[in-house]
Amino acid sequence: MNIAGEPFLVLEFADELVYLTPYTTTLLLFALAFTIFAIISRPERQVDIVFGGDAFYAKKTSLSEMRFRRFMAIACGLASMGAVVTGDIFNFTLFISLVGICNVGIVAAVKIRHVQEAAFQYGIVALSATVPLFGAAALTAATTGTLSMIELGKATTAAVSPVIKALLVLGVMGEGMAPFYAAKAEMFRAPGAPYVIMCSLSSLLIFLRVIEVVLVI
Amino acid sequence: MIEYVLFAVFFGLLLLGIHRKTIARIQRRPGPPVWQEILHMLKFSFKSTWIPATASGTLFVGIVLLAIGIWTAALFVVLTGGSLLIIFGIYMLHKIVEHGFGLSSGSPYGKFGGVRSVISAASEIPLFVTVAVIALFTESFSLADITAYQEVHGPLLFLVPLPALAMYIVILSKMPSSPFSIVESKEIVSGYKTEHFGVWRAGLEVTNGLKTYVLLFTFLAVFIGSLPLWWILIGMVLIILSLSFVCALCPMLSPFDTVTVQILITAIMVVYAGILWVVA
Repeated sequence: MNIAGEPFLVLEFADELVYLTPYTTTLLLFALAFTIFAIISRPERQVDIVFGGDAFYAKKTSLSEMRFRRFMAIACGLASMGAVVTGDIFNFTLFISLVGICNVGIVAAVKIRHVQEAAFQYGIVALSATVPLFGAAALTAATTGTLSMIELGKATTAAVSPVIKALLVLGVMGEGMAPFYAAKAEMFRAPGAPYVIMCSLSSLLIFLRVIEVVLVI
Repeated sequence: MIEYVLFAVFFGLLLLGIHRKTIARIQRRPGPPVWQEILHMLKFSFKSTWIPATASGTLFVGIVLLAIGIWTAALFVVLTGGSLLIIFGIYMLHKIVEHGFGLSSGSPYGKFGGVRSVISAASEIPLFVTVAVIALFTESFSLADITAYQEVHGPLLFLVPLPALAMYIVILSKMPSSPFSIVESKEIVSGYKTEHFGVWRAGLEVTNGLKTYVLLFTFLAVFIGSLPLWWILIGMVLIILSLSFVCALCPMLSPFDTVTVQILITAIMVVYAGILWVVA
């Protein structure tokens, strides 16, 4: 079945495999654009209105906080790009776990209680999700003898069990929370776009990629 | 291609104008002329423009270009009969664009609009289930294959009406004044759009025109099949009129109710797709 368009670039070096289809290229370009925004943008200064009056104040992001969050946002963008172009199941799970770590890192430097609590709770979910995530990769290798998505897509390779696919999707949903972002809403409310946008963007990108992966393998 | 993009922008804005006019007439108001949205876009193009002092400047401007870019890409995919999965991906990426619009300015109203946009992301699952059901029937994600399938077996609208209804609700959730349009409701001024004015708002209007055209075109291509351009345009007007009736007669839901209804629709669609998968 033609799922994401015909691959127009396949790169193989050692055990690495990268391939680009129109679908993965769309996701890659989007991730690249936001990573560039994270590199060159200065963060917004979130305006809050004082309750019960006319006053308002703008929250500033300090230089040290900005540097750390920018680094984490760029790392998150790179991990997302890796996840959307890789053609290897293990590398895919590795990049996704990196996305989960970077998401916590992006908001970890924000010194606001509700943001820290949300990041901590999300971190626990992301940590738990690594079990089904890496378990799915291990089970794929054990049952089919390969981790290459191109090989797994061929009719000659043993079929990947729906249970393994479900574990993979569960792992990705745990790492990114997509599409149930409501669980991460307090994180998105943290000041400092574009860094905080990387949390939702990376979640969405890995969710969109895992849809293609489970359909291909 | 450029002339088709321009046509899509202007026709999409005309459809939004018809939408506003119809709602107004149902509510016994005179309403604006049907070309009001086109006038808005032209007017904003020549108004004075600046970037708020609290904004993340590059993101504030770049997000407008990105929004136009993704929907132009979506139009290209639809016209070339590309993969439906790409359309689905772009539709979901639009959430991030709305989020980016809202968060880039530093405004609390924009931020609430952006956050609301992201928390209502569960509404996209019916769209994915729709795509999955279509693929189950036609054994392809390619729009060209899907339209070819319908030439042999008849419109999918009659074969699988529930996914058609789900996609209709997804389009409804993107319409101004819809029961699910919590991202731009009045208690948060204009939501994620609040701080984008002047030429940035004109860019946003261009995006809205393109988005409306692409979504309606996709609906017709997926559920009715290949049609001459005139029939497609008439079909779009008819769908917009039906959406306007829903928008005019239904109250706007609260964010909590919106998410609840969307999750309910998602659950129904997942069960339906599961039954179809088992039967197939």
